[in-house]
Amino acid sequence: MPETDTTPAEERRLLWRTVEVRQVIEETARARSLLLSVPGWPSHRPGQHLDVRLTAEDGYQAQRSYSIASAPEAPLLAITVERIDDGEVSPYLAGEVRVGDRFEVRGPIGGYFVWTAALGGPLFLIAGGSGIAPLMAMLRHRAAAGSHAPALLVYSSRTFADIIYREELNRLAAASDGPRVVHTLTRQQPAGWTGATRRIDRDMLAETGIAASARPRIFVCGPTSLVEQTTPSLLALGHAASLIKTERFGPTGGLR
Amino acid sequence: MSPDQSGMPAAPLDGNAAAGLLREVFVFDATSATVTCGGCGATAHVGSARLYGGSMGAVLRCAGCDTAVLRVVRTPMGLWLDMQGARSLKIGREATA
Repeated sequence: MPETDTTPAEERRLLWRTVEVRQVIEETARARSLLLSVPGWPSHRPGQHLDVRLTAEDGYQAQRSYSIASAPEAPLLAITVERIDDGEVSPYLAGEVRVGDRFEVRGPIGGYFVWTAALGGPLFLIAGGSGIAPLMAMLRHRAAAGSHAPALLVYSSRTFADIIYREELNRLAAASDGPRVVHTLTRQQPAGWTGATRRIDRDMLAETGIAASARPRIFVCGPTSLVEQTTPSLLALGHAASLIKTERFGPTGGLR
Repeated sequence: MSPDQSGMPAAPLDGNAAAGLLREVFVFDATSATVTCGGCGATAHVGSARLYGGSMGAVLRCAGCDTAVLRVVRTPMGLWLDMQGARSLKIGREATA
C-alpha cells in the first residue's frame, strides 16, 4: 500500500504540549485511566505511545512513556496508569492527579507496534495486565472505524477484579462483528469461573488462537515473562516472525 | 529494578520502547526503519531489536547475534549516536508516514 507523507511539521519536531486532565476513571484497584485534552494533538495510530513529563516547582523533571489507550476517533486522549511503587511519574498519575491538573506530553511516538483498520486482519492480540492498553486502542479503533477484520484478544489477568476495561470488553465482544475475547485468571478465580486459569501458553494459543494459516497480525504486550513465553509458542504454531510484534514493558515502562 | 536506578534493566525491552529517545536524534520514526546487523547480516526492524538502557541512553542489540547495532548516549554536552555495529539503516516510507 503506497503511503504518502502527511505528517504535520509539529509531529516531526515532537513538541512538548500542555495537557489537561478532563476525567479520571478507576479501572481497577490498581489501574486508572486519565482522559486528557491535548490542544493541537496530531492524530495517532493505535499502538503508539506518548511521553509524559512532570516538572517540580524546583525545575526537576521526570519523564515516562505510556501507551495510548484511546482510539484516534475519540475526542479525548486516554492513558491507563498502573499503580507501581517505584518510579517518579506513576505515583502522581496513579494517585494524586485530579481533574483540571496540567502536565506535559509529547507524541505520538513509535510506528512499529501499530495497527490500523486499513491494514486489515485477522487481528490476534495477546495481553498481560496493563499491557492491554495499546491493544485496547486497536480494538476501540476497530469498532470506531467499522472494521470487519476478525479479531481475537487473549487477556491474562491475576484476578477477575484486575481485568482492566472489563465491561467495555464485554460490550465490544457482544456487538455484532465484535472481537472474540478470551480471559485467563492466573491467581484467583471467582466462584463458578469456567474460563482458563493458567498463564498463556502454547496449548492455550493452539486451542483458542487464530490459526497460522489465516496469517493474523499478532500483537503481544505485557510483562517480559509473558512476551518471552508467548513468542516461541507462536513461532512453534507456525506463525511468521514478521507478523508477530511485541512490546515488553519493564517496571517503569519505556525509556526517556 | 527500574532502568532509572540501575542504568541497565535485568531484562531487555523491545526496541520500540526507545522510540521517544530516537525521535530526539532522527526526524523519522527510527523504530519503523530496518537495520542490517554488521555482525551477522540479519535484517530486522529497529523496533524488534533488544533494548538495554536507562535514563543515560539506550543500546539496541541484534536479537540474533547480540551485536550492538545502535547506541544513543545522553551526555551533558548532547546526544551521542554510535552505529558502528550497523551495516545499514533502511528508512522505508512507513517510517516517515
